[in-house]
Amino acid sequence: MSKGESLPETTEPTTADDVAALIGDDLLDREEHVNAPGFVIRPDSVQDVLFRLRDEAGYDHLSCVSAQEYEDRYESIYHLKKFDDPTDEVSVVVPAAKDDPVSESAEPVFRTADWHEREAYDLVGIEYDDHPDLRRILLPETWQGHPLGLDYDQDRPQIVPLREHANPLQEDHEDDDGDTMFLNIGPHHPATHGVLHLETVLDGEQVIDVESDIGYLHRCEEQMAQQGTYRYQIMPYPDRWDYISAGLLNEYAYARAAEDLADIDVPEYAQVIRTMGAEMCRIASHMLAVGTFALDVYGDFTAIFMYAIRDREKMQDLLEDLTGQRLMFNYFRLGGVVWDLPEPREEFFEKVRDFLDELPEALEEYHDLISTNEILQVRTVGTGVLPPDVAKSYGATGPVARGSGIDYDLRRDDPYGYYDELDWDVCVEDGCDNYSRLLVRLREVEESAKIIEQCIDLLEDWPEDERTIQSNVPRTLRPEDDKEIYRAVEGAKGELGIYMRADGTDKPARFKIRSPCFSNLQTLPEMSNGEYVPDLIAALGSLDIVLGEVDR
Amino acid sequence: MIGILKSMAVTMKHALDGKTFTVEYPDVAPEVSPRFRGVHKFSQERCIWCRQCENVCPNDTIQIVMDDQRNGEQYNLHIGQCIYCRLCEEVCPVDAILLTQNFEFTADTKDEFVYNKEQLKNVPWYKGIDPLASRNPDRGAWVGEGEGEVDYQ
Amino acid sequence: MVGGVFLQQTTTANASATTGPTLLPETIAGVLGGNGILVDVVSGFIAAFIVANIMLVMTAVAGPWAKRKITAAFTDRIAVNRVGPFGLLIIVADAVRLLSKELVVPDDVDRPAWDLAPIVLPFSALLGFAVIPMGSGLQLADPETGLAFVFAVASIASIGLVMAGYASNNKYSLLGALRSIAQNIAYEIPLVITAASVVIFAGTLQMSEIVAAQTETFVSVAGVSIPQWYAFVNPFAFVLFLIANMAEIGRNPFDIPEAPTEIVAGYQTEYSSVYFVLFYLGEFIHIFLGGAIMATLFLGGPAGPVLPGFVWFVIKIWAFFLFTQWARSAVPRVRIDQLIEIGWKGMLVLSFANLVLTAIIVGVIA
Repeated sequence: MSKGESLPETTEPTTADDVAALIGDDLLDREEHVNAPGFVIRPDSVQDVLFRLRDEAGYDHLSCVSAQEYEDRYESIYHLKKFDDPTDEVSVVVPAAKDDPVSESAEPVFRTADWHEREAYDLVGIEYDDHPDLRRILLPETWQGHPLGLDYDQDRPQIVPLREHANPLQEDHEDDDGDTMFLNIGPHHPATHGVLHLETVLDGEQVIDVESDIGYLHRCEEQMAQQGTYRYQIMPYPDRWDYISAGLLNEYAYARAAEDLADIDVPEYAQVIRTMGAEMCRIASHMLAVGTFALDVYGDFTAIFMYAIRDREKMQDLLEDLTGQRLMFNYFRLGGVVWDLPEPREEFFEKVRDFLDELPEALEEYHDLISTNEILQVRTVGTGVLPPDVAKSYGATGPVARGSGIDYDLRRDDPYGYYDELDWDVCVEDGCDNYSRLLVRLREVEESAKIIEQCIDLLEDWPEDERTIQSNVPRTLRPEDDKEIYRAVEGAKGELGIYMRADGTDKPARFKIRSPCFSNLQTLPEMSNGEYVPDLIAALGSLDIVLGEVDR
Repeated sequence: MIGILKSMAVTMKHALDGKTFTVEYPDVAPEVSPRFRGVHKFSQERCIWCRQCENVCPNDTIQIVMDDQRNGEQYNLHIGQCIYCRLCEEVCPVDAILLTQNFEFTADTKDEFVYNKEQLKNVPWYKGIDPLASRNPDRGAWVGEGEGEVDYQ
Repeated sequence: MVGGVFLQQTTTANASATTGPTLLPETIAGVLGGNGILVDVVSGFIAAFIVANIMLVMTAVAGPWAKRKITAAFTDRIAVNRVGPFGLLIIVADAVRLLSKELVVPDDVDRPAWDLAPIVLPFSALLGFAVIPMGSGLQLADPETGLAFVFAVASIASIGLVMAGYASNNKYSLLGALRSIAQNIAYEIPLVITAASVVIFAGTLQMSEIVAAQTETFVSVAGVSIPQWYAFVNPFAFVLFLIANMAEIGRNPFDIPEAPTEIVAGYQTEYSSVYFVLFYLGEFIHIFLGGAIMATLFLGGPAGPVLPGFVWFVIKIWAFFLFTQWARSAVPRVRIDQLIEIGWKGMLVLSFANLVLTAIIVGVIA
């Protein structure tokens, strides 16, 4: 890992005490989270502290903002990381008074805080001072109450009639003097890949301003997880966050967080299977990403989309053999996986190898069809530009960040599973445009294939009596009270993190999902303002968002 | 221009080789893997009414009604609401509930997807595959008792 | 015998035609017998009916069936095969399906324009076929300005698109209409100018003459004589015309007036049921008209060995249709500004260069 060129100085503080010294008088208390030291700071000095941590200590990645309500206070936790070394984490805990939950916004420091804080306001009810646009984000404007608050009344009518509330549709978007046009792209539009609503202001064909209106697919995933038991009932749900064949990657996020929370070991054999399965999902997911991106640019369900779907289909068949399902796998269990490889093993290995053997040829076709096609290059090179510093500020991760030249991949930088034992590379492109993101995905498919191949070799030679697929985990898990953890894995779209707080019962007291698409989607205005409508669509396609994960 | 011609050559190659990837579905029934999880099959003869499946079900899809003597009366399962996670099958100590490979089910209304124990019993095996046989080698591996005392929930 | 009389009259009608082959109305008039305006009008109607129906049948085959099958072939799928042999009866099923749908009329549409637009589009394309020599005596009229007529009526379609886009009271429709205008203006000029280079070769605007001029032998290789099709004489102009034609009829990579992933369906977003069918029909007839113009100007019209002329003509326009579908499978759509740029900065310049060059060559040789 030869990185560190962007650090302001070499003597950055690394220990918790250094960070505490940096925070200085604003520090109220110290906490210990499983993943990082926590620093409780004054609610009116959030910007100061975060500026200092970002500029002087190099914590340049606001991974997530977890908000929650306790019996006696509200709390927002800013999970800070470094893009150069994501294992160096700090949790900045900002308490807010129970009767008047206000704390300072972090938006001026990290622009990603914009949406994260809006979500916290929406679901938990904390208000952020100095926030540029503190509105509800996932729930409708007319929603009453904050559903993750402790005193939320389920039985109360939740949506008031529009006459008791300002009608959000009535707002007149027409400007008498201006020559702009307001255009709703979505929620039902062929290129939004789900129910995304883009409020666009056009000047002719050029995009002046675009604002994403999300929440149409909000399914209360966090609350559902809070009502499920750690041991079994949460695991089926991660499949449904990023439901486009990235299931095992999502399950990995929960498995990793919960296993670290409850100190569960995973047998090495299960680690290899998990790694292999996760990379299979990554291939399937990237295939669809490439296909739909091409669909957005080509404009029809044409060859490249169908070929990508065909190859994804082959991968899904393999995953079906392994897990028993094609999308909603529910294959991981805490402490391992539910099934060993399907019998007969040789047949399974052979099928996987066949796929891997055919993959280079298929990728060659993709390159012939898309990446070397001049019209596609004209369409994508230099459009949807996302400079690295902007990407970092918005907390963009995954192929979006790597397409902007940010060398950041949790599989390598914060190793889990069996990744650090295997030989593979992180794909980074410096173009910062739609084309780079496309190339990153195509190259990552090759790298994933390399990982799968090595896993297959390992599994084939694994001694028969050491094939433990699960460690011995109690049927009921009760992590101790007030244990907090934030853990992330490299999902298909980027850093998929989970924050959990235990309260001594068998269900988490707070379950927060840091969805990569949520953060990545925030960069859309940066990428598309000033561009043409087709480039807006292409940029949206290159972000590869899944609304199920954005809205959760 | 070369790239465009190359693209067109690729698609023409696919058009001319005459191979198709799709299948004629109702005529050609797809091969599903032995582990595939489809509609449930319930066996009242085996069931001991321990209610573990009802307990573990993540979204309350299974409803069990018992009389005063704890004899089972009803076993209802909403196969349209079910998320096919297979936890009920995993947790069942007597293999009374199994997920067949049967993925084909239709109804006019959602209510019709609420299967009672008779309907669940009559769910056919898909292509005559008994899933128990194909999954059996792995059973038992997943249940952990943990260190210390045994916890039966 | 009555038949004999008819036959005799037909031959006399044939003999009386001074220039070019017999036109279809004349043939029909001959069959009907008699003279006078009434017969001319009736036979003209019958001929037009026949030609229009040929085109509509071809469109019906192309739209619901052939397009699906061709797209499926390019994407490794099977496509329609349930209804009838090779799924051909899907045409009937689709017709019933589309026609039985509700005609949704959105609020505040500009009523006469909104209703007229779906009629303008297919009829502008059908009018173009009036002067196309389809071989085997199928030609409605053969005016001396045939080529100019074709381009004139084909561009009426733009008005239909603008009417549809403007009258729909929908922003996507408006965007699509404006796009189509920008595109048509940018590509009409190169299209006509490239066609003018053919006119320089042929020395006439009359369609039958242009076809006739292509029957001469270009080169003779090993006893096989290659005819003087302008595609062989001037392949550069052929390629230019092909590209401009694709843009003119709005097919990939120039399908930006519709651009489903960007502006939903462009000008036809608000149309449903019968009106949608008319748009759909119009688009396909336009493709065929584009193919017919290509065939007439560059591929010798209905000329070809062994098979009858009309069959060759159909083969040629279907080849063009196939080509549009092929391009659709593999070529991404260009962006509106790139499209305009290609049109004004590339195609226009090249087409003028082609025209000047052709003029010089023809002038030097002649």
